[in-house]
Amino acid sequence: MATKDKEWISIPMTVDVPYRFAAGSYMTKCLTELRDSGKIYAVECPKCKRVQLPPRVVCAECHVKNERWVELPHEGTLVGFTIMYLPLTDPTTGKPHEPPFVYGSVRLDGATSVLDHMVEVEPDMDKVWVGMRCRLVLRPKDERIGDLSDIRYFEPLPGQKKPQS
Amino acid sequence: MKRNVAIIGGGQTYHAARRHDVDEPEMVNEAVRAALKDARMTIDEIDLVILGNMEFFEGTHMTDCWLVHGMGAYGKQGLKITTGGTVGATAVCAAAHHVASGLFDKVLCIGFEKQEEGDTGAILSGVANPLWGRSMAGAAVGYFAMMGSSYMAAWGAKEEHSAMVAVKARQNARRNKYAHLKLDITIEDALNSRMLAWPIRMLDMCPASNGACAMILADEKTAKSRSKKPVWIRATDTAHNEQFELDWRDVKTNRLIFSRACAGRLYRKLGITDPAKYFDVFEVYEPATWAELIWYEDLGLCGPGEGFRLIEQGRTNIDGPIPVNPSGGVLSTNCIGASAMLRVWEAALQIRGDAGEHQVPKDVRRALTTGYGGTNWTVMTALSKTLDD
Repeated sequence: MATKDKEWISIPMTVDVPYRFAAGSYMTKCLTELRDSGKIYAVECPKCKRVQLPPRVVCAECHVKNERWVELPHEGTLVGFTIMYLPLTDPTTGKPHEPPFVYGSVRLDGATSVLDHMVEVEPDMDKVWVGMRCRLVLRPKDERIGDLSDIRYFEPLPGQKKPQS
Repeated sequence: MKRNVAIIGGGQTYHAARRHDVDEPEMVNEAVRAALKDARMTIDEIDLVILGNMEFFEGTHMTDCWLVHGMGAYGKQGLKITTGGTVGATAVCAAAHHVASGLFDKVLCIGFEKQEEGDTGAILSGVANPLWGRSMAGAAVGYFAMMGSSYMAAWGAKEEHSAMVAVKARQNARRNKYAHLKLDITIEDALNSRMLAWPIRMLDMCPASNGACAMILADEKTAKSRSKKPVWIRATDTAHNEQFELDWRDVKTNRLIFSRACAGRLYRKLGITDPAKYFDVFEVYEPATWAELIWYEDLGLCGPGEGFRLIEQGRTNIDGPIPVNPSGGVLSTNCIGASAMLRVWEAALQIRGDAGEHQVPKDVRRALTTGYGGTNWTVMTALSKTLDD
């Protein structure tokens, strides 16, 4: 074990590294449609018919090119969630998301994939549940930049109550 | 395997939240010296050195260069592997491949992490895809929280079941002199610990540890002439999950996700139909309590939705019929680059009968270990006491 009666030097250092990532043709179409028309586009595999979001060039399972674009509705079902009590750092901005907040995984109707995002609901176990119906809320068009943050959050569809188990 | 491969020695550092007393090469050197001593070898006998860590954590890139003296790799053949949380097991897997191929006879593999030197939470958020979800990333705790909420909703498990895993790990760790979190806790303590991300509480998560592990693998001829207790690597297997698909935490999915694909292939190699009976002990990579319950199911130790019943019935306790993580596991010690190698080394110690106070109280002839990391992939290793087992 380390002894505490000795001095040990450690030197603090902050490294700030800028990156710039090419989105590629499939993600570019997805993000420009989100920005310009507020539409969510996925791709369907010609073989297994899985509707994949975000869209990507090859179906990982079938090894074939995904070519059919599918516009997804803005409504879906919550398949998993957490109430976050930690101020998690957004690594793209360095700023924390202020806790507590609900963060969830939603399967938009017709999609095979799920989409993780903030859920605009009170951080209360009676107000959020697996199976809850949700819809996307986008930023106003003039604030959208072609990034997943153009989606502000999911919000519950009105008129639902948590089923009693 | 083309040639039989054995573990003929190994060693680890003690694991702790603070290791200001050593730098990275000094810490790695502690494990390397322990492994050489255990194998009764000198570094001059080693043909190849394989290093693994997750270099983002410390921010020291090219660790294979900066640590070369601590590793004992100066002037030797060597390579560096970086596969996230699995890296320690990947290093063992690569070492096994190198020996099995016939190109090398004595290979030293090393895994380490000095988590105190960087910001683990920030770095793990950066593991998310930069264009799809990085700004929203919930870090590891968020991912495991959604795994837990999905598991409870699907199968009716309760937070108490997660607490039972938390208690088993830390009580086992109390018997392991190298473990980081040796906590004498109860289910109530686990349920009353600070909420991080429902349903994950402080005691449901692994710690951020500093530490290293090293192992020496050799061919059959070397192993039989040099080692009194060689432990044989009978099979290894690896599998990746499809990226962007979060089906690995959709516990009711019928897809052949990475963990099931890997286990299925490994079982076919060894002709295993009932893994709970075939293996005497398991060391699985569980950064969070819920992950252990899902391993039970994905490894086929029980049926789907029955994992929480195994822990409830105490079947995976150190003295139970299917002991899982007698070492205390990742929940008690997580020096990431070493964690997956520690699973293999701890399983080897069990087979040798050298695990000390956390030795499973039965004849241990076969063991299975898993690694887990990246954005969902795994490395599995099956070990045996003799080549007839």
